[in-house]
Amino acid sequence: MGLPLFSADGDPGPSFWHFAEGAGLTGERSGTSSEAPHATTVIAVRFNAGVVMVADRQATGNYIASRDVRKIEAADRFTALAISGSAARGIELLKLAQLSFEHYEKMTDSALSLEGKANYLSPIVQRNNLTSPLLVVPLLAGWDVSRQQGRIFEYDGAGGCYERVDFATIGSGSPFAEGTLRLGFREDLDREAALDLGALALYEAGDNDPSTGGPDFVRNIFPMIVTVDVDGFQEVPAAAVGERFKTINERRTESRGVAGGTLR
Amino acid sequence: MTMPFYVSPEQLIKDRAEFAQKGIARGRSLVAAIYDKGVVMVAENPSASLNKISEVYDRIAFAGVGRYNEFDRLREAGIRWADSTGFTYSREDVDARALANYYAQHLGDMFTEGQKPLEVEILVAQLGNALRPTKLYRIAYEGTISDEPHFAVVGGDSDTIRDRFALAEGTVETLTSTLQNAAAALAGPDRVLPADELEVCILEDRGNRRTFLRLTDEEVKEMLS
Repeated sequence: MGLPLFSADGDPGPSFWHFAEGAGLTGERSGTSSEAPHATTVIAVRFNAGVVMVADRQATGNYIASRDVRKIEAADRFTALAISGSAARGIELLKLAQLSFEHYEKMTDSALSLEGKANYLSPIVQRNNLTSPLLVVPLLAGWDVSRQQGRIFEYDGAGGCYERVDFATIGSGSPFAEGTLRLGFREDLDREAALDLGALALYEAGDNDPSTGGPDFVRNIFPMIVTVDVDGFQEVPAAAVGERFKTINERRTESRGVAGGTLR
Repeated sequence: MTMPFYVSPEQLIKDRAEFAQKGIARGRSLVAAIYDKGVVMVAENPSASLNKISEVYDRIAFAGVGRYNEFDRLREAGIRWADSTGFTYSREDVDARALANYYAQHLGDMFTEGQKPLEVEILVAQLGNALRPTKLYRIAYEGTISDEPHFAVVGGDSDTIRDRFALAEGTVETLTSTLQNAAAALAGPDRVLPADELEVCILEDRGNRRTFLRLTDEEVKEMLS
């Protein structure tokens, strides 16, 4: 590629995606294959000082394609972005989002607002999902620096972006996770309670949805848990995540697999 | 049919060079220097928002002097080039030398073929690592590219400033003393530049992928005192 210079009327501005589309960097959107690994459970829960995000680690096609996929990425310091659907398109979306947010910052010497980042993804999701059978649905959660609070944005398949004030889920395990979250969510959850609830919701999804990987005690692979708060994006260390799921698992063993009408 | 006046190529180049030099001389200058832990760029710039120095990539920075609209367009093109190269290949494949060459080609083309030469001088800095060395590339208005081993000065009064800085800064020093020498060289013997009239940015490893940092007026003030 040569030097991408533009005259004022043809300039794509600080948007990397618009530039990349024009320069043909993002590739064609067509084809009929739908065999790429997909299916997932990702959960985002708001708490009183930020957001918690939990994701399983399994990529599923006709069989388990991978057991240690990382479905949540730091899109930037204050933004967590997770994907469900086509792995190929999801990874491309993650890469594009990370690059675009940083690109904007370098071009304009100021960071995008959290809402700006959420809206930015809408046309990218729309463009992909309406022109390709390889669907991708992201989930964005982060710390809003100007409002000083955690915020969650979910998307529909056509790219519509909706803010959720409580929690959101994406992927095939959503119904099971959603049920747990609906029972367990309270306003003003603290960090610890939000971590507990998120982990339990993912446990339920892994228990019921064949395409969601629960905690894997044989291989010591556990779901991914991150928090985004005033200090930015932080991943909970694998050992701590393992302990959390071990506790849930022991409780469930004691009750012989029955949740027992309470959040256990 | 009217015949245009004949102008010899020598005269044409001379006129164009004079035109570009005059334009550049109207603006303030900029010093970039390698210090013991990185690269510092110091520009005399009374504006706090119309920047001369910018992050381009993880280990690459851009600085320009002369006409703002012209070097800012080059800056944006550089960021686009770097981000799309990293997107297409990998982050480690983005090399300042390639970018400096593109700038040199573009400035050279504009000098000989453009409506008018660009009235800018450009500096591309790269912080070295295991793959690449620390580099300062200076690109003049007519496309001349030079690889400066220790420091570079771009802008109107660059020869005088270069001499002053070379005299003060014999070897590679710390950030604080390099910044002090650069500020003094830019100011000259008859004045002192306050922190809010300086734009100071560094490339330094701080344990993150991105190495670019814009210093605040307070930080600059403290280092200059």
